[in-house]
Amino acid sequence: MQIIINGILQGVLIGAVGVAFALVYRTTKVFHVALGGLYSLSPYIFTMLLTFQFPIWLSLAVSILIISLLGFALEFTIHRPLFKKDAPPEVNLIASLGVYIVIVQLIAIFWGNESQIVQQQVSQVWRLGNVSVAQLQLLGPLCVILAIGVIHFWLKHTNKGLELRALSDNSTLLALLGRNINFLRGTAFCISGGLVSIVSIGIAWDVGFDPHAGLEIILLGMVATIIGGKGFILAPMAGGLLLGLLRAEVVWFGSTRWEEAATFTLLVLFLFFRPQGIFASKTRLESL
Amino acid sequence: MNYLMHLVVYFEIFAIVALSLNLMLGYGGLLQIAHAGYYGIGAYSATLLWIHFGVGFIPGLLLAGVCAGCLSLLVSLPARRFKGDYFVMVSIAVQALIYAVLYNWTSVTNGPFGISGIPKPEILGLEFSSTGAITLLYGFIALIFIGVISLLKTSPFGRALQSIRDDELAAKSVGIPVNKLKLQVFAIASALVGCAGGLYAAYVSYIDPTSFNLNESILMLSMIVVGGVGNIRGPLLGAFILITLPEALRFVALPDEIAANIRLLIYGVLLITLMLIRPQGLAGNYRYQ
Repeated sequence: MQIIINGILQGVLIGAVGVAFALVYRTTKVFHVALGGLYSLSPYIFTMLLTFQFPIWLSLAVSILIISLLGFALEFTIHRPLFKKDAPPEVNLIASLGVYIVIVQLIAIFWGNESQIVQQQVSQVWRLGNVSVAQLQLLGPLCVILAIGVIHFWLKHTNKGLELRALSDNSTLLALLGRNINFLRGTAFCISGGLVSIVSIGIAWDVGFDPHAGLEIILLGMVATIIGGKGFILAPMAGGLLLGLLRAEVVWFGSTRWEEAATFTLLVLFLFFRPQGIFASKTRLESL
Repeated sequence: MNYLMHLVVYFEIFAIVALSLNLMLGYGGLLQIAHAGYYGIGAYSATLLWIHFGVGFIPGLLLAGVCAGCLSLLVSLPARRFKGDYFVMVSIAVQALIYAVLYNWTSVTNGPFGISGIPKPEILGLEFSSTGAITLLYGFIALIFIGVISLLKTSPFGRALQSIRDDELAAKSVGIPVNKLKLQVFAIASALVGCAGGLYAAYVSYIDPTSFNLNESILMLSMIVVGGVGNIRGPLLGAFILITLPEALRFVALPDEIAANIRLLIYGVLLITLMLIRPQGLAGNYRYQ
C-alpha cells in the first residue's frame, strides 16, 4: 500500500511534466528538451527570491512568472524563426538541446554544481493505518493537481483554449482562418514553462535540487506523453501514473539502478505494441 | 609534445566516430542519440575479448565491431518503422538501456568501478606502448576507415542511401529496397563506432560506464551538427573543432571549477547558433529536409 501511494505521488508529478511537454509537443511539434533547463532553473530563482526576504507565496508567484516568460522568450527567439523557415523537427530538437545545455551550464557557473535544499526543518508525517505520508511530499502533488485543473478548465471552456486545441489538429487551417498562431504558440510555451516550474519547486521543497535534475525528469515526461497518447491532460497524466507506479515497484522489488531501464523498456513495449498510446483510436503513426 | 600526440589520438578516434554517425545521419537520414551506447559496447566487448580470451589486437577490434553491429540489428530490425521524433525517442531509450546494462551487470562489466589494465595494442609481436606509436597506428587505421567510407559514398550502395535520405518515396518507387538499406547502414555505422570504442579502450587502458552515457552521445551528435553532414570533410572538421576548442580554452585563464561548464556552454551556444544560421553545419552538404 505504501508503495502504491508513493508511486501515485511520483506519478502525478511525472504526469504534470508530461502535460507541460504535451502542451508544446502536440501543438507545435517542437521536442521541447529545453523544458528540462527551465525545470532546473526554477528552484534557484525561488530560493534566490527567498533570500531577498520575499514572502513564500510572492517568491513562488514571481518565479513561476519568470519561468513562464522565459518559456515564451525561447519560442520567440529560437523556435519562431525556425518555424518561419519551415525547419524540420530534428532542427528544433537540436536547437532545444542546445538551449538545455546552455541553461544548465549557466546555473552551474552561477550557483555551483552541488545539490541544495530549500529549507531545513523535518516535515510532519501523517499516518493513515499503515500508510505514512510526509506533509511536504503531499504539497507538490496538490499544487500540481490544482494547476492542472486550471489548465484543463482553460482548455475546455475558453476561446483561446479551443484555439490551442485546434492548433494541435491543423495549424495551417487555423492560420488561414485568421487566428494569430504565433501568439498561440507562445502561449503554449508559456503555460508549459509555468507548469513545469510548479512541479520543480514542489519537488525541490521535498527533496532538494541540483542543476542536472532536469533532463531525467523531462525524459520521463516525454515517455509519459508518448505512452499516454493523444490529448493534453488525461493521457500524459495516465502515462505518468503508470510510470510512477512501475518505478516505485521496481525500487521496492529490485533496486533504484534499474529504474531507468524499466522506464525505457515500458516505452519500447508501448511503441511496438501500442504506438498510439493508452488513449487513442488507431491511426497512422506519422499523424499522431 | 606528448600532450599534442594525445590530442591527435583523440582526434583520430573521434574522426571514426563522427564519420560513422555521418554515415547514419548524412547518408541514411537517421538521427539517433545512442551512438555512445554502441561505442561502449565496442569498447567493452573488445576489452573482454583481449583480457579474458586472449584474442589478438586486430581480431579483437574486428570482433568488437561485429558485436556492436549485430546488437544494432537487434534494435534496428524492430525500430525501422519509426520515423522522426519517435526514432529519436527509441534511440534515447536504447542509450539508457545500454548504459543501465553496462552499469548493473557487475559480474561481466565490473559495474561502476570499470575495467582497468587493458593491454596496449600489439600487432605481430610489435607492441605499441608509447603515445607516438599509437598516434601512427591509429592514424593508419583511421585512414583505412576514411578510405572505406569514401568508397562507400560513391558506390551504388552510397548513392541509393542518399536517394533514400532525399526522398524516400521516390527511392521506393524506382525499386530501391529502403528498409534493407537502412538496416545495412545502421549495422555498418554501429560496427565502425564499435571499432572506435575498442581503439579508445586500448588507448586509455581503463573504461567505466560514464564514458558511454547520454552526454557522450550528445557530444558525438554535436560534432557532426557543427561540422556538417553528407560528406567526409564536415564530420572531420566537427571532430577537430570539438576536440581542440576545450583544449584551447585551457590556455585562457579560466578558474578551474567552471572550465568544464564553460566548455559545455560553448557546445550549447554553437548548437543553437548553427541551427538558426547554418543548419547544414560549417561544411555540410545536407540540410535535414
